Amino acid sequence: MKLSLKWVNDYVNVPDDLGAFCDRLDLTGTGVEGVEKLGDALDGVVVGHVLTCEDHPDSDHMHVVSVDVGADEPVQVVCGAPNIAAGIKVPVACVGAVLPGDFKIKKSKLRGVVSCGMCCSRRELGQGTDHEGIWVLPDDAPTGAPFSEYLGEGDTVLDLEITPNRPDCLSVTGLAREVGAMYQSAVSCPLQDDMDKLAALTAGNDVADSVRLEIADPDRCQRYTARVIEGVKVGPSPDWLAERVTAAGARSINNVVDVTNYIMFLYGQPLHAFDYDTLVGDDGMVDVIVRPARDGEEFTTLDGTDRVLTSDMTVIATPKEAVALAGVMGGLTSEVEDHTTTILLESATFSRAHTSRTSRNLGLISEASMRYERGVDDVPIADISAAAAALMAEVSGGTVRPGIVDLYPVRSERASLRFRQGRFNAMMGADIPSDFIVDVLERIGCEVGRTSDDDVLSVVAPTFRPDLEREIDLYEEVVRLWGMDRIEPTLPASPQRVGLREAREVVRDLVNGTLRASGMNETMTYSFAEPGDVEAARMDALGLGEAVRLINPLNADQSVMRQTMLPGLLRSVSYNQHHGTKNIQLYEIGTVFSGAEGRKKPKERAKVAGVLAGAMREDAWNAKQSPFDFFDGKGVVENLARELALPKVRFKELSADEAPHLQPGRAAEVLSGGTVLGWVGEVHPLVAAAFDAEAPVVAFELDMGALEKAHRPARDYVDVPTFPAISIDQAFVVDNDVTAERMSQVMTSAGGKLLESVALFDVYRDDERVGAGKKSMAFKLTYRAADRTLTSDEVDAAHERLVKKVAGATGAEVRS
Amino acid sequence: MSLVDELSALAEETLSSISGASTSVELEAIRVAVLGKSGSLTGYLRSMGQVPKEERAEVGKTVNATRVKVESALEEAKARISAAELASSIDAAAVDVTLPGRAQQIGTRHLINGMVDEIAQVFLGLGYSVIEGPEVETDYYNFEALNAPPDHPSRSMQDTFYVLDRSGDASAVKGESDVLLRTQTSGAQVHAMEDRELPIYVIAPGKVYRRDVADPSHLPQFHQVEGLVVDKGITFGDLKGTLDFVCKQLFGPDRRTRFRAHYFPFTEPSAEVDVSCGICHGEGCRMCKGTGWLEILGCGMVDPNVLSMSGIDPEVYSGFAFGMGVERIACLKYDVPDLRMLLEGDMRFLRQF
Repeated sequence: MKLSLKWVNDYVNVPDDLGAFCDRLDLTGTGVEGVEKLGDALDGVVVGHVLTCEDHPDSDHMHVVSVDVGADEPVQVVCGAPNIAAGIKVPVACVGAVLPGDFKIKKSKLRGVVSCGMCCSRRELGQGTDHEGIWVLPDDAPTGAPFSEYLGEGDTVLDLEITPNRPDCLSVTGLAREVGAMYQSAVSCPLQDDMDKLAALTAGNDVADSVRLEIADPDRCQRYTARVIEGVKVGPSPDWLAERVTAAGARSINNVVDVTNYIMFLYGQPLHAFDYDTLVGDDGMVDVIVRPARDGEEFTTLDGTDRVLTSDMTVIATPKEAVALAGVMGGLTSEVEDHTTTILLESATFSRAHTSRTSRNLGLISEASMRYERGVDDVPIADISAAAAALMAEVSGGTVRPGIVDLYPVRSERASLRFRQGRFNAMMGADIPSDFIVDVLERIGCEVGRTSDDDVLSVVAPTFRPDLEREIDLYEEVVRLWGMDRIEPTLPASPQRVGLREAREVVRDLVNGTLRASGMNETMTYSFAEPGDVEAARMDALGLGEAVRLINPLNADQSVMRQTMLPGLLRSVSYNQHHGTKNIQLYEIGTVFSGAEGRKKPKERAKVAGVLAGAMREDAWNAKQSPFDFFDGKGVVENLARELALPKVRFKELSADEAPHLQPGRAAEVLSGGTVLGWVGEVHPLVAAAFDAEAPVVAFELDMGALEKAHRPARDYVDVPTFPAISIDQAFVVDNDVTAERMSQVMTSAGGKLLESVALFDVYRDDERVGAGKKSMAFKLTYRAADRTLTSDEVDAAHERLVKKVAGATGAEVRS
Repeated sequence: MSLVDELSALAEETLSSISGASTSVELEAIRVAVLGKSGSLTGYLRSMGQVPKEERAEVGKTVNATRVKVESALEEAKARISAAELASSIDAAAVDVTLPGRAQQIGTRHLINGMVDEIAQVFLGLGYSVIEGPEVETDYYNFEALNAPPDHPSRSMQDTFYVLDRSGDASAVKGESDVLLRTQTSGAQVHAMEDRELPIYVIAPGKVYRRDVADPSHLPQFHQVEGLVVDKGITFGDLKGTLDFVCKQLFGPDRRTRFRAHYFPFTEPSAEVDVSCGICHGEGCRMCKGTGWLEILGCGMVDPNVLSMSGIDPEVYSGFAFGMGVERIACLKYDVPDLRMLLEGDMRFLRQF
């Protein structure tokens, strides 16, 4: 909402200190989003006094004038306007000025005559539509004065953020009331004076003789009134009117439309002016019907756009056709035009909900719809209509037909509330005196009375404040106007509160800490995904469910919610590789989504995923780095398993069919007992290529919920050994398909109580020395007894048994 | 030459070669040559039997004395040489201590999550628990239960991403839906009031979504930390005191806060909170657009309707709620010039924190 300080100052005293005034507005709830000194755009335009005016030697319509612009010498200007004459005062744009529309004034020659500036029309200065001739200023306009100063007398326009609960502040008089409450100063309202002018301008037959009204659905229209103004001459607005509507942010269009806008800005009541003659039916009567639109009804709004309506929208119609979209915008067929002589003036109020939906459904927000969806007061509608009709007649030379047609099916009631001052002060943690409470409530328009209980006030809220429905609404008014800054800061006194961390957070912290300790860097990617991501990642067979689709995505690349974290992380790998970073260790904890037919809300799962590409770091002077492979990813997962104390963690090979997104042979499922935690592996080279990332990329994705479930918060204590151990290194030659896991399992079960640990330290393949299709695996086997020092005989016997069993179970041969 | 003379000549020769020795190897050779099995002095000891009886005592004494003398010289020389050798090996081992160390790389925390941790830490200290809520919400939790019924004008304040409703329900407004990406973490308030025992002291950090095209100062997904307190006797002063404390913890003890009245459907009275600008300390600069203040959060007393809708009696309980934008706070603290960096995964950016 744009507020001209000059305008509002007519009704309430605006303090001189602009900065302090803006601060006070900000602090009391009216945000100041911009401050514009009016006329800033007219730098270089001054009031000029035309000294001489001669015909252009080479043109039959142009003149060459000499203008005093307050400089030492008059300037020569070539002017084509018919109304230029010696002795008049005009706005002159001097060389260097930039007029609205980025029009730069330069020194030029017009048919051989030098012109050092331009005499301007209203339209050229953005001050109206009149382009018939130059703007002739009153004789007392000060020659040489900057035009903006002359025009605006230093007017300042504030751009105010009016919160949706305050429809009353979408008007100059409403803001005057607000300023009065802010400063506890006197406020006046021009409405009565404006209405009083009507009597002298009334003539002709009663409106009711020629206009009939009907409201089909009172839920959509609480009140509808119409007046008729006839004999109007549509033309430019008087200066003061054009100035006001321009200051309020509208364009000056003509005297009739400007009056409707002026009254709307002044009182907050949207008005609509119809060309009366376009509404007259065959019987010579005007029938105005407020009715629901028909589904599919076509309608062209004032802006020339064809629209298709739904039955949720409301139209103003004649029996023949719709003529306005109620509360939002008028129609093209009944628009006031230059030849219009009779006006039907609508002053009404429409349903907030219907207006809001209509506006959203059509993507059409107007000054009217913005006010109607917040709530327009139905009570003063007829009075405001009177003021508007009088003004319209006054500025257009017309007269107003006596009377008003006024259908008023639903009258707003004033809310009667109580105000418990003790409770108010207790809730605010303040001690705000009763006098202040009463005074400020009265200033915002409430009637305040005492009750039998000294503590309790009875308050009747005004109908222009639909937000004052409950006691708490009044509390807010008092505390904001008292000043929130005056309330003493305290901390809650409750002895009962304790901050607890849930298992979910503890696990998340452990995961974060472990991944960071493993050298991984946390990142964040978009929750949005491309519809083809899952396919590109070759994960369609993984049972990720149906993608969750956005109805109104920002773009096609982000039109679904991610079902897996991998694509986003691969994009980051690609981003880094293309920006010269080859060593990448990224992880993210985030949510993935999956929907299903018939289910309203999708499933959300928290996942932790990571990608490793390149190496952990560059080679250092004292350390060579090996490039990442499967085992670096697995190592990270093993660290997680250790830190979360996950029981019975296993890595099970995934086949090409089970995990098409991973490179076959370098892919594993991660399990804890029977629970699948996720997968780890090298991303299939085709997947890396699909995301423009350079392979190899090692990746993993684990389910946070599964990790949380498997996590053991406490570990078991095991005695630290006190007796010495005996270690034997033992190499076996086995077939290639015998896994390390299988070997360990066999050894662990064969080793009996004395075998403390099995550690693989070498894997070796050589067709000649080991044999084709075979591999040698070397283990360090550690034997120990908890209660004594083992003898070598005992160990030899146990080891011999173990070797025999391993050979039997796996076909292993002992390699010496 | 008598035996005694021979011995004293041997002693003299040995002692001189000992003092000339410069390595432990040389020293050992001398020891073996003199005191070893076939060493020269050992030879005298072995041949003691051939020494005439009357000289035996004298010679024996001399031999022993010589041995003691040699041994102690060896001992001394050993100490000298090993000290010298240690010193030289230490010299040889000296390194340029400005060379980089050898360490396992430590990973980094994402700036935004680090910020959330910092905020959560402050609230944990104040006795708050941390909760979370779903990112896809129904209209009810995102708007309606927060006192913004359908067609409430506050809804157009937020550009909502709507999600295709697979239950088959249709929305009253074309292009909208009953299912949406939460535009605020405030829905977690409702879940907390429905699910938790009173009193409630919680914060709910999380991702939220709004239909803003990504540019240096906007992201379509960002983070908020929502806070909710419901207890007996909670005052607006408590809200002020709590947020003032938190801002000082996050930004520094010299920072001030100011509360500007505002409007949110789910709180009343409502306020926006500014913290004094850390660059100009309130004088006004480019950072704070000349105002001296930086807007950082919205807050208010929980609206009685919201309490009632969740089955809490507003005549008995009161509370406050607040929501802060994590990216906003992070940017104020770290001066990140372009929010999109937060989602690119650029290692050069991530490794800074």
